[in-house]
Amino acid sequence: MKVAVIVFPGSNCDQDTRWALERVGLKAELVWHTEGSLEGYGAVFLPGGFSYGDYLRAGALAKFSPVMGEVRRLAQRGYPVMGICNGFQVLTEAGLLPGALLANTNLHYTCKEVFLRVERTDLPFTSDYRQAQVLRLPIAHGEGRYYADEETLARLEQNRQIVFRYVEHQGQGGNPNGSLGDIAGIVNERGNVLGMMPHPERAVESVLGSVDGEGIFTSLSKALATLA
Amino acid sequence: MMKYHATILIELKDGILDPQGRAVEGVLRGLGYRVENVRVGRVLEMELEAPSEPEARESALSVAKALANPVMEVYALEALKPLQEVL
Repeated sequence: MKVAVIVFPGSNCDQDTRWALERVGLKAELVWHTEGSLEGYGAVFLPGGFSYGDYLRAGALAKFSPVMGEVRRLAQRGYPVMGICNGFQVLTEAGLLPGALLANTNLHYTCKEVFLRVERTDLPFTSDYRQAQVLRLPIAHGEGRYYADEETLARLEQNRQIVFRYVEHQGQGGNPNGSLGDIAGIVNERGNVLGMMPHPERAVESVLGSVDGEGIFTSLSKALATLA
Repeated sequence: MMKYHATILIELKDGILDPQGRAVEGVLRGLGYRVENVRVGRVLEMELEAPSEPEARESALSVAKALANPVMEVYALEALKPLQEVL
């Protein structure tokens, strides 16, 4: 089953994401954001980058792209949809995930490795991880501070929608941006729409410094095989 | 059809940490200004066409609603004037 990687003007992790998907045997295609149909695709990725130059707010203009109607339709039909970094910002702006991503508390664009704890392994994106496994993944963002009101945060906790949290590991890492609840990634209630700020697609080969991101893609590959 | 000039203000909700405002505040205080609670918002200006002022207002508010993120922002139509009064 084919996976669509949406390309907005200003996306820059689209090729990496396609590479990471193809490495695990999935067929991935880049799809320009003006495309009106995603017929024939079994999953959708919104990649990292700076869609529309991050103008207005990160992800705020991309949500109006013609393809987003189709992304919403696939999400509602239960297809796996994943947003990485800017893709996560687009998903929150579009209302497909709750909350918002605000400027990092320290106002710095932060580009470094962080540690994440896997909080859920019963998702199409995380089945190849172990519960509470600690992953080492890169981040590269200026607006990654997860924010939601208290009611929404309580609901996320209660429904187990927090999938990845920033953690300290051997005295390193920790929350890099001021995210509430140390949230690095969340999923919708149904469990098919995932957004995360760190970049798993940049950690799929040892030459890249970490292979901890590969599990996302191998998990998805298995999930799609059972759907097909 | 009439042309109007609209000014829309979009701000972070009260209580949401505004690191940009905090950075500006720090610099202002360093310059000796006795300011506090500095917040940074956004102003959007636009010219729009509508048959009447109420419809222009409605259209401008609809634009503001589309552009603001209700999770963390509030918006207001700061001003709406016939375009010839602005030029």
